[in-house]
Amino acid sequence: MVRVGIDTGGTFTDFVFFSPTRMWIYKVLSTPRNPGEAIRRGLEEAGVLAEKLDVIHGSTVATNALLERKGANLGFLTTAGFEDLLEIGRQTRRELYNILVEKRNPLIPRHLCFGLKERTLSDGRILQPVEGSEVDGVIRKLKKAGVESIAICLLHSYANPANEEKVLRKLKPHGFSLSVSHRVLREYREFERASTTAINAYVAPLMERYLSRLEKELGEDSVHIMQSNGGCVSARGARDNPVCTILSGPAGGVVGAKEVAAAAGFSRIISFDMGGTSTDVSLCDREMATTTDSVISDLPLRLPIIDIHTVGSGGGSVAFIDRGGALRVGPQSAGADPGPICYGRGEDVTVTDANLILGRLDPDRFLGGAMKLYPERARLFMKRFARRLGLSVSELAEGIIRVADTTMERAIRVISVERGFDPRDFALLSFGGAGGMHACSLAQRLRIPTVVVPKNAGVLSALGMLLSDTIKDYSQSILKRAADVSLAELNGSFRPLLEQARQDLKKEGFEESRIRLLRFLDVRYIGQSYELTVPFLPSYRREFDRLHHRKYSYADEKRPVEVVNLRVKAIGLTKKPGLPEVESDGPDAGAARLCRRLMRFEGRDYQADVYARELLKAGNFLRGPALVLDYESTAVVGPGFVCRVDKHGNLIMTRQKQRR
Amino acid sequence: MRAVDPIELEIFKSIFVSIAEEMGVALCRSSFSPNIKERQDFSCAVFDENGGTVAQGDHLPVHLGAMPLSVLSVIQNVDLGPGDTAILNDPFRGGTHLPDITLVSPVYVKGRARPAYFAANRAHHSDVGGMSPGSMPLATEIYQEGVIIPPVKLVRAGRIDRNILDFVLANVRTPEEREGDLTAQLAANRIGQKRLLEITEKYGYPKTKSYMKHLQDYSERIMRQAIREIPDGEYRFLDYLDDDGVSRRPVRIQVAIHVRGDSAVVDFSGTDPQTEGSVNANYAITLSATMYVFRCIIRGDVPYNSGLLRPIRLIAPEGSVVNARPPAAVAGGNVETSQRITDVLLGALAKAVPERIPAASSGTMNNITFGGQHPATGRNFAYYETVGGGMGASPERDGLSGVHTHMTNTRNTPVEALEHYLPIRIKRYSLRRFSGGEGQFRGGDGIVREYEFLAPAKINILSERRVFPPYGLAGGKPGKKGKNLIRRGSKAISLGSKASFRVEKGDIVIVQTPGGGGYGKAKPKRGKQGDD
Repeated sequence: MVRVGIDTGGTFTDFVFFSPTRMWIYKVLSTPRNPGEAIRRGLEEAGVLAEKLDVIHGSTVATNALLERKGANLGFLTTAGFEDLLEIGRQTRRELYNILVEKRNPLIPRHLCFGLKERTLSDGRILQPVEGSEVDGVIRKLKKAGVESIAICLLHSYANPANEEKVLRKLKPHGFSLSVSHRVLREYREFERASTTAINAYVAPLMERYLSRLEKELGEDSVHIMQSNGGCVSARGARDNPVCTILSGPAGGVVGAKEVAAAAGFSRIISFDMGGTSTDVSLCDREMATTTDSVISDLPLRLPIIDIHTVGSGGGSVAFIDRGGALRVGPQSAGADPGPICYGRGEDVTVTDANLILGRLDPDRFLGGAMKLYPERARLFMKRFARRLGLSVSELAEGIIRVADTTMERAIRVISVERGFDPRDFALLSFGGAGGMHACSLAQRLRIPTVVVPKNAGVLSALGMLLSDTIKDYSQSILKRAADVSLAELNGSFRPLLEQARQDLKKEGFEESRIRLLRFLDVRYIGQSYELTVPFLPSYRREFDRLHHRKYSYADEKRPVEVVNLRVKAIGLTKKPGLPEVESDGPDAGAARLCRRLMRFEGRDYQADVYARELLKAGNFLRGPALVLDYESTAVVGPGFVCRVDKHGNLIMTRQKQRR
Repeated sequence: MRAVDPIELEIFKSIFVSIAEEMGVALCRSSFSPNIKERQDFSCAVFDENGGTVAQGDHLPVHLGAMPLSVLSVIQNVDLGPGDTAILNDPFRGGTHLPDITLVSPVYVKGRARPAYFAANRAHHSDVGGMSPGSMPLATEIYQEGVIIPPVKLVRAGRIDRNILDFVLANVRTPEEREGDLTAQLAANRIGQKRLLEITEKYGYPKTKSYMKHLQDYSERIMRQAIREIPDGEYRFLDYLDDDGVSRRPVRIQVAIHVRGDSAVVDFSGTDPQTEGSVNANYAITLSATMYVFRCIIRGDVPYNSGLLRPIRLIAPEGSVVNARPPAAVAGGNVETSQRITDVLLGALAKAVPERIPAASSGTMNNITFGGQHPATGRNFAYYETVGGGMGASPERDGLSGVHTHMTNTRNTPVEALEHYLPIRIKRYSLRRFSGGEGQFRGGDGIVREYEFLAPAKINILSERRVFPPYGLAGGKPGKKGKNLIRRGSKAISLGSKASFRVEKGDIVIVQTPGGGGYGKAKPKRGKQGDD
């Protein structure tokens, strides 16, 4: 049996294979029109099609359908009087000062939104039941309009789903793809629940077709799909809730970062994934941080997903002087085409060009020497730019890096300081093509003591998928004052969620001993409208005060609280392969040294050693400044940092205390 | 020798803006009243030693010009030592309207006897007392609108002055919520102070101080460039408020914008005198609206700070409805008159740069406040919300429907939350079809919101554009006027723009908000067939 993690990216589809005897990686060009084609080709070329396969796949099908508005022809059923729920949303506009703003592109046109004369109250009482004949009339209209998928969200269905269930029963025989709000997200706040349900309905038919094809090619029961909550789920599970697979690619990276860091002995990390156009950061405090407050393509998505913060700053980000005279970097990117100046065609100065000028890239060994870089070209364009500012080329290059680092430092502050964490308690785990060149300088800025640049940093997302557990999330709004609900009652209310969770995981093929069910409460002070999630313990109230204090710097133990939602996180523990170890040797890394080159940091030139990553052995020790070249990425060991190679081949860089 | 390093400028810009944003995150997340959390009716900013804004979070336009006046007022009236924080809401001493409470905290750096910077934030509280719940009454004097807090110390050397706090809390309907919100506001300022000190430690005081000034100069340069793109000339426009809520007389607001080179004079001479009812704007609000409009003509992002103000001279005649004197009632000036001031400013600019200015948006925030006793708990409740409308069509496209425009951008409260906590049922919350003005591009549609009261309550409606519709431009038709109705049994009564009344159990209040104006002449309809 071979386990395969497959990450479909914009340019490449990455494969990581684990057999009982070895681990290897593979890459093919992606086939955006039919992502399955690249998957089949990769498996074929890797020669594993004859084996029994266990595939964990991060699919971009749902995400792209949503971003490009190429999903299903969709209908929306809601309570009469609220037909425009999705268009009105929270009645705010995206941009405060744009008076010529463009229209939001709705998932569902107005004429396919229908209101039903029915009403449930907030305490769950049914004021007016659903009239079957009214639903029949709507069904006729939906059929006539050629609708294939339907989102149903009735007011207060989280409190009592009876009316939604009735609508569902009426619709079922007619062959629509159906998404009903109390099953997608049983929580109060009608717009967010409706929006999450509509996204699900919008991507469901497409996902269904994609998964069927994949299963036909790879065999049923052998396909798992990565979800945005950091866990995977069977193809069957993904069909029921395709909304859970949106944004699953970056989630794979965070799982990979967490697992690789754990194997290296770090349980508290900040993952830092810097690519060509953007940078993703996320925080793991033993567990991955999740959020239920995300927005994708202007639509709120209320399911728990890994809390990843993205900023428009990457290797290809373009530097320019704005009309007020400030040096800006990004969010415009030179992308892959024309790319940075040093790639040979671009004419806009990018972060990559600046890194090259400062000696942080080796022009002769880029992509293992497969691609030539043109440092003299970069220097020429940068000279023109620098002269306008009265700067030298290296001053400009360092300036560009500082501005880009400031943006990324800010991104890390958002997920750490703003959430009540001190970055100094974490290790920075850096991956992505450009991450290794900036990690040490960011660590210095944020006083992070350790930087980890993992082995196989280029396929970390696929590796993460391979190492993920099955995770399913369940929730239910109860909106009760803590004083009015005993622990025993809460226990009782959890029971149906736990039952459902256990059943679902058994269906996913997990035996009792590999099932973990974690219970949480969403709690807030009465009158607040944001909740904090705390473990369900007898002392949950104290936990809440403590968390509130950590996040918002105050707490009031005497103020009454309210339990808003019950949450269950159901984890099916998969059998994970151990990460392979590399050959070990003494501290002397001389055998891996390629050459010396000039590098520049903070206005000073250094003669630095350049090493080949694949020649480094466990136990090797490097002193910064140094450069470590990998096939697809470069790691800079900054001045004042030392670096050791651990048994898995990861680079562990530490800041020496005596330096500031 | 370069005066300003473009690299340092960008780095400091990013730092100062992020401080204001971090303050905002803390305030929004930890406050109690839905006004602040759900509706995000607040603003946070960082100031230099003279009270000039350095950076302000992108929170709410109506607070733009008003924040620095609060800090100035505190500098003039309160001697803030280390660890002190001042509080105020007095519209005639740095505030806007009474529900907006501002906290100002100084930042002291080593070796300086005066504050080096200030961190401040303002938030709209759901109730600050006065003659009706929610503190947005149809008053004729400010004394009826709620408790007036002049600039005073709320915190002395790190300790809250219980005398002041208790005095304020004794004058409001929901003291626990107020105390929670004030605590959150204090926490936000503490974050601002802490970050400013960190920056000062890293870069030194002289450099931090000079980049505050450089950043203001930066914004000024960008504003001057934007004004330079407007042809020199004098551009006039006038429009009316429906009434002041006391008499039925329209209130005239008129502006002349004189553009010359890279600066402008904005002159409201000719505007009606201040009114008996509460539609009076103070100077801060008129300044905010002016800043908002000029900020909108800048394409792209720019840090909001006092540098943006320098190229613009504002003339607002004292004693007029755009610069009222005490004891004028002002609750509606902030929320309604500010929108009309925006409309006349944009109307004037449309004559100068027609290709860049949209038709009038709904022009009202449709303020609904109500309160009473919850029959299930016996506790008092006070609630305030605003309802969106149609956005004006632009020279490029249709306007958005069902959205807040111009001076506000507050979120709605989920119906499921409202019905859970208050004795009310929302019967309808939908777009008001065909309320947007016709034109080559259509104005956005307004909203219909129907409230059924499940217990007796006192309700206030403060709205506009029920008499004078939002204007269209370039031949586009105006948006449909709004309407407020009460239905009791089978009878429906029209209420006018502003109303204060009691409702009984079973009464239904219907608010229909205006659509946006259309842009350009509508093309004659083609005879299409088979198209529903």
